[in-house]
Amino acid sequence: MAGSYLDRQLNIADYALSGFIRRLGRNSVVVFIFALVIFMVASFSLTTTSLKHSASRLLTTVPDITVQQMSAGRQAALSVTVIEKLDGIFGIRSMEPRVWGYYFDENNGANYTVIGHANFSDKARIAGLGIDFLPALKLDADADPAVLGRGVRENLELGERRTFSLFRPDLSVQSFITVGTFSAETSMVTDDLIIMDLDSARELFGLGPDDITDLLVDVANPLEIDTIADKIGERLAGVRVVTSERIKKTYRVAFGWRSGFGLACLFGAVAAFFIFAWDKASGLTPAQQQEVAILKALGWHTEDVITLRFWESLIISALAFCLGYLGAWMHLLFFDGILFRPLLLGWSVLKPPLSLVPVFSFADLLLIFSLSVLPYLAATVIPAWQSATIRPDSVI
Amino acid sequence: MKIELHTVEKYYNRGAHNQVHALRGIDLLIDASETVCIHGPSGSGKSTLLAILGGIIGPTCGSAVIGGKKMARLPDRFLTLYRRQHIGFIFQRFRLIPELSVLENVTLPLLPLGIRPADRKKRGRELLQRLEIDHRKDFPAAEISGGELQRAAVARALINDPSVIIADEPTAHLDTRLSEDFLTIMTDLKRLGKTIIIASHDPLVSASPVVDRCLYLRDGLLCAAS
Ligand SMILES: Nc1ncnc2c1ncn2[C@@H]1O[C@H](COP(=O)(O)OP(=O)(O)O)[C@@H](O)[C@H]1O
Ligand SMILES: [Mg+2]
Repeated sequence: MAGSYLDRQLNIADYALSGFIRRLGRNSVVVFIFALVIFMVASFSLTTTSLKHSASRLLTTVPDITVQQMSAGRQAALSVTVIEKLDGIFGIRSMEPRVWGYYFDENNGANYTVIGHANFSDKARIAGLGIDFLPALKLDADADPAVLGRGVRENLELGERRTFSLFRPDLSVQSFITVGTFSAETSMVTDDLIIMDLDSARELFGLGPDDITDLLVDVANPLEIDTIADKIGERLAGVRVVTSERIKKTYRVAFGWRSGFGLACLFGAVAAFFIFAWDKASGLTPAQQQEVAILKALGWHTEDVITLRFWESLIISALAFCLGYLGAWMHLLFFDGILFRPLLLGWSVLKPPLSLVPVFSFADLLLIFSLSVLPYLAATVIPAWQSATIRPDSVI
Repeated sequence: MKIELHTVEKYYNRGAHNQVHALRGIDLLIDASETVCIHGPSGSGKSTLLAILGGIIGPTCGSAVIGGKKMARLPDRFLTLYRRQHIGFIFQRFRLIPELSVLENVTLPLLPLGIRPADRKKRGRELLQRLEIDHRKDFPAAEISGGELQRAAVARALINDPSVIIADEPTAHLDTRLSEDFLTIMTDLKRLGKTIIIASHDPLVSASPVVDRCLYLRDGLLCAAS
């Protein structure tokens, strides 16, 4: 008459589920708190992953070596003629002059980062940043083509319009036409960005026809970057030579410190929750003790009672996990990770609104699962052992 | 099922200052088809004796041979299996789980037996109909009357079709009419060939024709049948 092992387990799971529903009021408090903890951890992890993803996409576009002219400790204009001076260095694949600077938009008090590229019209060169190109227009002869960050588009209130104008230092007007927009994925650094042709940028900042702000050097063999950087420093007087490795390192240090700090704070919250769970699970109410004694008197084994506790905990933690993780996705998808962004990026970066795209990582999911559901099961099932060994004689 | 107890002793808290010597050398033989009533004053050890017969606790020393199997010295696991399959126990205070519905309470012993939900429900309802409390099946146990509670407790004891039915003071909380109803149910079960053991100091029970034999327990000692 005894059914299969599976049937017995299913019956116990069934009983656990109906018990969960019966005590929905009390259980939903636990589920809510637990879901909140998972929400925080998952949001943090998703935001971190998403930022890392954005960052790594950006960092691939960082030039191997950047050369800038320094004068009295400040950056000054560099002449394009340096290209000829460096031409003989073996191992340099290509050199690209660039003009960049900040443009202050008085109308709405915003700062834009303007970059002028020599090969601006060459789509492939800057495609690494992810540009959504707009369909070609018959170009207005007076308007210079430009690619805009999403934040700039919004600030200029362009809407569907393609043309806009900026002021030169002498307050004359320079007209532009939008040929593309940076994709949301890279908005971490492209939000306030305007990319245009080298000559357009010179004109906008009032630089001479030979002036650039920096020279980007592309090196054939990554192992030679440092050697070549040294050679450049020797050949040119008063320049600053920055390698890509240094930029990446600076970035990683800042980001790593922040995410480590955040993780430590979260760990405290998680630990507190499990202590609370342990405490609750080990102190059964008299009614619960009575229930265990009755079940055992009716022929439940100790391990059946433990299985029951296991299912109860699994229902609670799996539900909390789903709710928390789903909430975290929503948080990132619809609210751009607003809770953790300041912590990870620093408050100053908040100004340009950036939109984060959630990046699904199975490893992260597994990590959060094993850091939440598994400890919860352990924190509740292990103390349940002691309650499951209650002897049935209290029912007589 | 035939039950034998040989010089069974039961101590609670043995060796501690609050030690209780609840049973003192009990020798008892109950035939498979017998209905036995155990009476005696409160605190005489009736419940303790029933718990040993029902495999809920083990004796401190001595042996219990049930259905030809020696129960003493068996690990808890085997006592549990024995309870699960052969025993229907009606506890003194019924011990239903208050938040569960009557039907859920009644079918509780079927869960560890691995009986599927549909079968559980069917068997539970049949039994509740037989005991005439089908109309209360979805009520939480906390919300039904004393007589209904007792019927539910009987139904729960019968759900696994046990060969031994043990009832601890089953009529203590019932009026005469309900007590007689209970004895009618026991009469039906006796006809089915069940072994029935009832502890009670209710004369209505000990004088009932359903009872084959009365035992008198006093201070943990079994005295001659009266
Ligand atoms: N779990 C227990 N722990 C300690 N003493 C107990 C326990 N159960 C019963 N006793 C004691 O054992 C004796 C017999 O009790 P019991 O078997 O309940 O008698 P009855 O059912 O005849 O009233 C009493 O003195 C009682 O106090
Ligand atoms: Mg008693």
